[in-house]
Amino acid sequence: MVIAYSMVAVFLCLFGYIIYFMQFKSETVIANSRNVRQDSFADTVERGDIITSDGIVIATSSTDENGNTNRSYPYSNMFAHVTGYEGYGKSGLELQANFYMLRSHVNIFERVYNELAEQKNRGDNVVTTINFDLQKTAYEALGSCKGAVIAIEPSTGKIRAMVSKPDFDPNNIDAVWEYLQTEEGASSTILLNRATQGLYAPGSTFKVVTLLEYIRENSDYEEYTYSCQGQDIISHVNIHCYDSTAHGNETLQDSLAYSCNLSFANIGTTLNYANYRNTANKMLFNSALPYEGVYNQSVFEIDSSSKEEELPQTVIGQGNTRITPLHNALIAASIANGGVLMKPYLIERIENDDGAKIKEIKAKTYGELMTSKEAEILNTYMQAVCDYGTAARYFSGSAYDVAGKTGTAEYDNEGNCNSWFIGFCDTENPDLVVSVVVEDSNINGVSATSVAKQIFDTYYNINYGQ
Amino acid sequence: MVNLICEVSKYLCLVFMVLYTFKCFQIMMTKDEEKQNKRLNSQIVFVFIMHFLCYLTLYLRLDDMKILVFYGVQIFFAVFYMVVFHSIYKESSRLLTNNMSFLLLIGYIILTRLDFNLAVKQFVLATIGVIITSFIPLIMLKWKKLKDYGVAFGIIGLCFLVTVFIPGLGIEKYGSRNWIGIKGFTLQPMEFVKIIFVFFVASMLVKAYSLKDILVNAIISAAFMGLLVLEKDLGAAVIFYITYICMLYLATSRPIFIVGGISLGGVGVLMCYLLFKNSLFAHVLVRIEAWKNPFKYIDTGGYQVSQSLFALGTGGYLGSGLTMGRANTIPVSESDFIFSAICEEMGVIFGLALILVIVSIFLSFINVAMKCRKPFYKYIAFGFSVIYIIQSLLNIGGVTKFIPSTGVTLPLVSYGVSSVLSTLTIFLVVQGVCIISNKEAISNEKHKSRAQAKLAQSGAGVSAEGKRKNRKQ
Repeated sequence: MVIAYSMVAVFLCLFGYIIYFMQFKSETVIANSRNVRQDSFADTVERGDIITSDGIVIATSSTDENGNTNRSYPYSNMFAHVTGYEGYGKSGLELQANFYMLRSHVNIFERVYNELAEQKNRGDNVVTTINFDLQKTAYEALGSCKGAVIAIEPSTGKIRAMVSKPDFDPNNIDAVWEYLQTEEGASSTILLNRATQGLYAPGSTFKVVTLLEYIRENSDYEEYTYSCQGQDIISHVNIHCYDSTAHGNETLQDSLAYSCNLSFANIGTTLNYANYRNTANKMLFNSALPYEGVYNQSVFEIDSSSKEEELPQTVIGQGNTRITPLHNALIAASIANGGVLMKPYLIERIENDDGAKIKEIKAKTYGELMTSKEAEILNTYMQAVCDYGTAARYFSGSAYDVAGKTGTAEYDNEGNCNSWFIGFCDTENPDLVVSVVVEDSNINGVSATSVAKQIFDTYYNINYGQ
Repeated sequence: MVNLICEVSKYLCLVFMVLYTFKCFQIMMTKDEEKQNKRLNSQIVFVFIMHFLCYLTLYLRLDDMKILVFYGVQIFFAVFYMVVFHSIYKESSRLLTNNMSFLLLIGYIILTRLDFNLAVKQFVLATIGVIITSFIPLIMLKWKKLKDYGVAFGIIGLCFLVTVFIPGLGIEKYGSRNWIGIKGFTLQPMEFVKIIFVFFVASMLVKAYSLKDILVNAIISAAFMGLLVLEKDLGAAVIFYITYICMLYLATSRPIFIVGGISLGGVGVLMCYLLFKNSLFAHVLVRIEAWKNPFKYIDTGGYQVSQSLFALGTGGYLGSGLTMGRANTIPVSESDFIFSAICEEMGVIFGLALILVIVSIFLSFINVAMKCRKPFYKYIAFGFSVIYIIQSLLNIGGVTKFIPSTGVTLPLVSYGVSSVLSTLTIFLVVQGVCIISNKEAISNEKHKSRAQAKLAQSGAGVSAEGKRKNRKQ
């Protein structure tokens, strides 16, 4: 009898396990983009809309008399890399939120009515974290330049804007596909979301990481001074500051504010390689990002076996280091949020067709990238950048205070470079983190910092109405 | 309109499934024969309603006359069997007959949805199997010396198992060499050997008077397990091992055998793992990895389980409705993964109820074993209960990621000649044991009542206690 009872007990466990699975696990499991069953929902459900957090529809469906569903995007290219496309596979939210949009929670009467009328039920709508005005500003500020903008709310991880250029019109995905088949289109990167997938040399924005490592290794970092001559040979490498300007005597804070390459190369000679690697890894280099969409991993190559000559370029963000705008935003976001990184996310909630909430996605903490003390120091130093350093000419006199770091990353030997800015506004209680990269800034003359400023301006216009 | 009918059928089907399951337990609880019969009859009605609704849905969705014809043939045979079997074997358990038919019919439904030809094949083979196995109780009643063939059972069983190693005859499938093929007709010897194995262990245990006897028995049993491990059929090895330990415990009622057995099994697994980590056990390790995180290995070892979980989750509690899901994208959905196919299209509630029905079948098997007074038959019925429940556990647990998947079939529901025939044999042998012990009880009763009548005549005041009617079930 003992045996019979224990067998029954095991089966009760199995029974309970299946209910547990259905209750708590199945939603995540079936939302897996490899689940082919999602598409079979499309037979009975009309794909739901994608809506911005301020209620503007950016992707919608309509069904014609013959039952063919047509997907349209009222703002064409503006949200292309947020919504992604549908048809020829899927990308962006069309892929990530596919499952939600193909499920319908319309009320039972409507469902029976639709059943009898042989109409499709309206799928649930996805409300994104994206703010329409911020996205529009970012989109327009980038103009015709190649590059990417990503804006994140540091206290929650909500992605408020995400732009990548060049882009495409998801309304005409057929034409886009045709273009990609041509010789010219074959090398095109219009489908690449540079904000999460573009790997760029971080340039001087990486000095934030180097600075953090220096502070960690030297408790007397406040005593640091350096006399910049504009050009020098450090660790057998010829290093010069921007335009070979001599910065003269400077503290650690001045070194960051003026983005002094020589001072940082000097710092590089003192760093412990293994610890440096450790800090970079902890800051999510060479590792997975807590992001659900498609992205690329950032790269940082220094380790205990690295050669001395590799350091001077690496500490100032040249060398072999590569980072995505998303990742750079996350570093700034953790500084803004007292060292704690919130997981970035794009879907705020799921609603049924009547606007009733079906599912709310809550902000989740990823963990501490640095201590709150360290975050505070970096915050202060980054304010210096915007108060009297390299970004001062953009932000002096603005109604809000900004902490940030500029960068100019050379990507070849002909002086071609990309312009970077990472930073956040309202340094006491940061509201918005922005990470911008503008490609070929030496040619198009657009500075990443000015793009960031326009976004901050818009942010305060929306929230406080200037 | 078709949609509406099918939707309503789906919900009705779930309701009747729950009612059916409820009756299974209710019947076991009651001792009143009249009530029991009433409930058994309502059970049959429920099955036929479910079966009708499902085939109606299938016909409406697939729009094929063949399905209606097939439905008619099934109903005719099912009714015929239920009536005829019970009128021949009056002492048989109607609950077992009901459940057996129920499982077969559910299997036909989901197989018709997956692959009509497969369903017909299954129906033909199962029908032949049902007719042949109907003679089993008769043979058991006539031929009472079965228990004297202990060693012979052992040798026959081992010989059967070895056949898969004969070149040209044995076939390797899904990493295990446990099939034989003769002219395109494939069989899984293990399915039949497990029956012989139970007979073997039972007959040895009946005569085991000393530790030495038990030891001999253990060594031969170990040979079975060893061969199964060599075939890389670990699911089967687990079934055999647990069955053996449980039967040994029943015969000796010494907890030491359970504790010792489990720890010995643990040591054995560890030893095998260390010895054959890279050869024999390589595909086991793959399966365990895939079990831990099927989605990480979705393109390789985790594919089957991932698809199965997609099916379960997407179908939901109520199911997508027959033919409305993607049950045919689940690998081997007609046999090993049939439970996922059922859950996806007929609903997880249906699957959960099916689990309870299986538990109730197990309990009624155990009931038969416990009521039987002849040790040999008792051991056999008990051994079969364990085999049945363990196999169901390995199957359902495997496809729901409760335990690593081992590749065994769901008895009577899954497609497969070997599996269906062997499970039918198990059911009918247990039925035979039930008949034997019921007959015995009835004749005892007669003896007793005659004796009591005499006593009463002689004027001695004896209570009418002995008149309690014998339970049949």
